[in-house]
Amino acid sequence: MPLQLPLPERLSNEGWKVKIYDNERLEPPHATVIRGNLAWRLNLRSRQFMDREPDPRDVPRELRDVLQVEHAELVRLWDRTHPGNPVTVAEDWL
Amino acid sequence: MTLLDRPEDPHKETEPYPRFTIVERGLMSLRFSDREGLWVASSAAQTEHFQPAGRHGRDRLLVTDELDSPLHEYLTALFSDVVSGPRPSFLSIDEIRRVLVARQFADLALGVLVSGAREAVVIVRGDLERTIVPWSWFRSSGTGTAPDFNDVAVTDAGLAIRLGKYEASMDAILYGFDRDYRARARQRQLETDVSFGAALRRLRLQKGVTREEFPGISQKEIARLERGEVVRPREATLRAIADKLGVEPGDIETY
Repeated sequence: MPLQLPLPERLSNEGWKVKIYDNERLEPPHATVIRGNLAWRLNLRSRQFMDREPDPRDVPRELRDVLQVEHAELVRLWDRTHPGNPVTVAEDWL
Repeated sequence: MTLLDRPEDPHKETEPYPRFTIVERGLMSLRFSDREGLWVASSAAQTEHFQPAGRHGRDRLLVTDELDSPLHEYLTALFSDVVSGPRPSFLSIDEIRRVLVARQFADLALGVLVSGAREAVVIVRGDLERTIVPWSWFRSSGTGTAPDFNDVAVTDAGLAIRLGKYEASMDAILYGFDRDYRARARQRQLETDVSFGAALRRLRLQKGVTREEFPGISQKEIARLERGEVVRPREATLRAIADKLGVEPGDIETY
């Protein structure tokens, strides 16, 4: 089951979701912000959006704030789902 | 005929959005440039007396319903490509419409079918192209969620495939199985390490292979390659790495 971050009701009602899928690109670790058929990937190491498209500025400020506040929870969810590539990088990769 | 989405306007020839038309009941046509000639029907019955006038063999048809063999043969004679299958393997007609007007329509899933005999999942994309993914690619997640190939559907409006309680993103699927998608995905990324070492690491992790598992190549050597301390491995090393990862040597850098 994909792990999903609970969101404030207003954002949920607008169709926003934040998920970590059971199977997705592993490197870099990221959370997927979803609305309709658009998806924004948030790098959990740099805390930055990873793609030019769709435009990260289309993610509302309220949701970006949630992502910052819940960063530790997103890291925990990622590490549970993808223990083979945790957010904290192994020393031999640095 | 009823026009959906957008009203008729004098600039329709240059209108940059696809336009749907309902013909008869629930049979939609899409009339715009590269998406022109794609028809969608929600039931087999809707297609029985339909012919794409003057366009024999050029248009493509998606039916979100099961077709019996004679009807499938009949439609195959009329359309260049016929894709069919039952719901919930396909999105609803409304969701399909949203996929087809999306800018990235070809990267979204319209439907998913399972071949038990071939142990493969067939994903029907927004452009009706099919992508085949072996069951073995869908590994259990760290939470213990395993794919259930008897219960498949498209979810998140075409962004993911659901196999029981397990979900796989279309991004990961296409990144793994469509070289063109990989190239486009890399262009979309704001920042990415395009070095050979970084690509090798991404591919190795995606395939679930540890550094210890490369025959004849030490763990240390793989780590040095991934860190960029060796810019380019020897030909034999590259071949051994590619064989273990199930790709062509020249494809490693595309990941």
